[in-house]
Amino acid sequence: MMELNLFRLAAVFYTAGTAFAFVYLYAREDKWSRWMRWCLYAGAAAHVASFGFRLQAFWAIPENRFFLPINSFFGALSFLALATAVVFVIVEGRHQLGILGAFVLPWALAASWGAVWRASQMGNTEIHGLVPALQSYWINIHPAVLMVSYCIFGNAFGVGLALLIQERQVKSKRPSELCYRLPAIEDLDSLNYRLIAFGFPILTVGIIMGGIWAYGAWGRFWGWDAKETWALITALVYAAYLHMRIVAGWRGRKAVYMSMFGFTCVVFTFIGVNFLSELHGYLSNR
Amino acid sequence: MQLVLVGVSHKSGSLDLRESLGGVSAEDALRRLKDAGWSECVVLATCNRFEVYAATSNSGDVDALATHLQAWSNGRLEQGLYSRRDGEAVSHLFAVAAGLDSLVVGEAEILGQVKQAYQAASAAGLTGKLTNVLFQRALHVGKLVRSDTGVSSGQLSVASVAVTLAERIFGDLHKSSVLILGAGTMAELTARHLLSAKVSRLHIANRTWEKARTLASALEAEPVRWEDFPRLLESVDIVIGSTGASEPVLTKAMVEEAIKVRQGRSLFIIDIAMPRDAESSIDEFEHAYLYSLEDLEGLVRENLSMRRKEIEAAETLVGAKSAEFAAWLQEAAAGRQAALRHSADAAPRS
Repeated sequence: MMELNLFRLAAVFYTAGTAFAFVYLYAREDKWSRWMRWCLYAGAAAHVASFGFRLQAFWAIPENRFFLPINSFFGALSFLALATAVVFVIVEGRHQLGILGAFVLPWALAASWGAVWRASQMGNTEIHGLVPALQSYWINIHPAVLMVSYCIFGNAFGVGLALLIQERQVKSKRPSELCYRLPAIEDLDSLNYRLIAFGFPILTVGIIMGGIWAYGAWGRFWGWDAKETWALITALVYAAYLHMRIVAGWRGRKAVYMSMFGFTCVVFTFIGVNFLSELHGYLSNR
Repeated sequence: MQLVLVGVSHKSGSLDLRESLGGVSAEDALRRLKDAGWSECVVLATCNRFEVYAATSNSGDVDALATHLQAWSNGRLEQGLYSRRDGEAVSHLFAVAAGLDSLVVGEAEILGQVKQAYQAASAAGLTGKLTNVLFQRALHVGKLVRSDTGVSSGQLSVASVAVTLAERIFGDLHKSSVLILGAGTMAELTARHLLSAKVSRLHIANRTWEKARTLASALEAEPVRWEDFPRLLESVDIVIGSTGASEPVLTKAMVEEAIKVRQGRSLFIIDIAMPRDAESSIDEFEHAYLYSLEDLEGLVRENLSMRRKEIEAAETLVGAKSAEFAAWLQEAAAGRQAALRHSADAAPRS
């Protein structure tokens, strides 16, 4: 219970942080950006504490010992929310881009409330014994690596959205206050590119790790399971983005649309596939 | 301790301040005041104002201070001189630091000048508890007003609006290169603005080669032969049109050719020529951003009206911060301990 309560607290902090991010988008005062950051720190702290309780409960089951509890839908959403917030704080800290909070943090918000919703549906936070196939050190690596790449793509999506808005602002010849608040078009474009160029190898490595694990657990490297297929499609879309960007010089709107399509694939791979996949479904509880 | 202020500014007299003060610099003034026995004073001297802030135990000293200033000016300052005490002196200094008393309201330079004035006094050993707290507070309020209100946002000239827009496209301009078409006064003015934004390269093309060369050498730019400028469109980031040509010199076909090799990089075209230098259909290209003189003038008008609104918010903030400080000053004068927070909280905005 402590775990869920702390998790709800974290979700509330993320919500407040996102709200401050939106206020900061329109109000000039820097204090909103500071409030946003403090909410994220507080949310992450509550989140980590909640995860501590989760770990304790999870490891109380002997066969689960020292594996990470991110196999369930709740665990995965929780991890995504935390990683999105942390990736944003890092990106923002490096580039002083608190202004992008309004574009990125909604994903942390959605993931954390999604997890709260899931817990209320299930009546618990989905802590049960791992099936033998999952009792492998790969469970500590393969999903985590992939979800980190998802978060980076989530950040890239937010940056892309900001780019579309900024581009429209400058093109309109009547730029509003927002234009002067958002980063420059070329800076957003290069950040979008760099995030994807950083996330893509992580995604690829994550998929290959999954293959190696699958070989050990199920005796085959690749089996065209729905999750595998969609992960591959996602990787191909981002590969195409990188190719068009580097070789064909795609920039601005066209490139952003492509990267956004990539992120749609990410979301589908994460959620939609649950209804299709036999082996990777969080909903099928395997 | 009490705070007194005596000074003269562009608001109180239209005379040339430097001339009327007989060339007395801030350092001279500090030295003379020290010799005259003043122990705590700061002299703020700019092109538009000359003010002495002093802490004293005797409120009658304000007249003594005024007498000093008049003596330096040989009596020429008689009319323009104003004096303030305590709370009024505080709110005056805060308003000055916030740029609300400046010729161009909200200008940024004054904050640095207040800082320099304070540092000079400090170096001369002429600051004490009151002046230290007062000036640090004034600098804080000056920054707060600029960050929390729009009083210094929005550029007020066509050239500076153009530079601000360029920064919305390219970010920091130090990697951007610029091509200027024409070598007239407007071309030069815009070029100087861009140079102060530290653009990496400046090319100047003009139909008359000699004129291009003259302006280029004055600005340390590169002159370009008129027939060569279309080729430069492939590499530059910003193009400024300011020729006196009667027909557009920058055609859609030229830009189309250039875009083929630009790899999607943004091209910002600032057309400040009358009649226009660039064909308006250029704007149809995704990565080309074309602003005409009317567009830029429209933005200047918007900025002006916005700034007028923001002045009210800035005045409210300065008023609140001055009252807070005046209360502290009173407590301190009565010998009581009072805390002054450097809170970043703004006064409620109307």
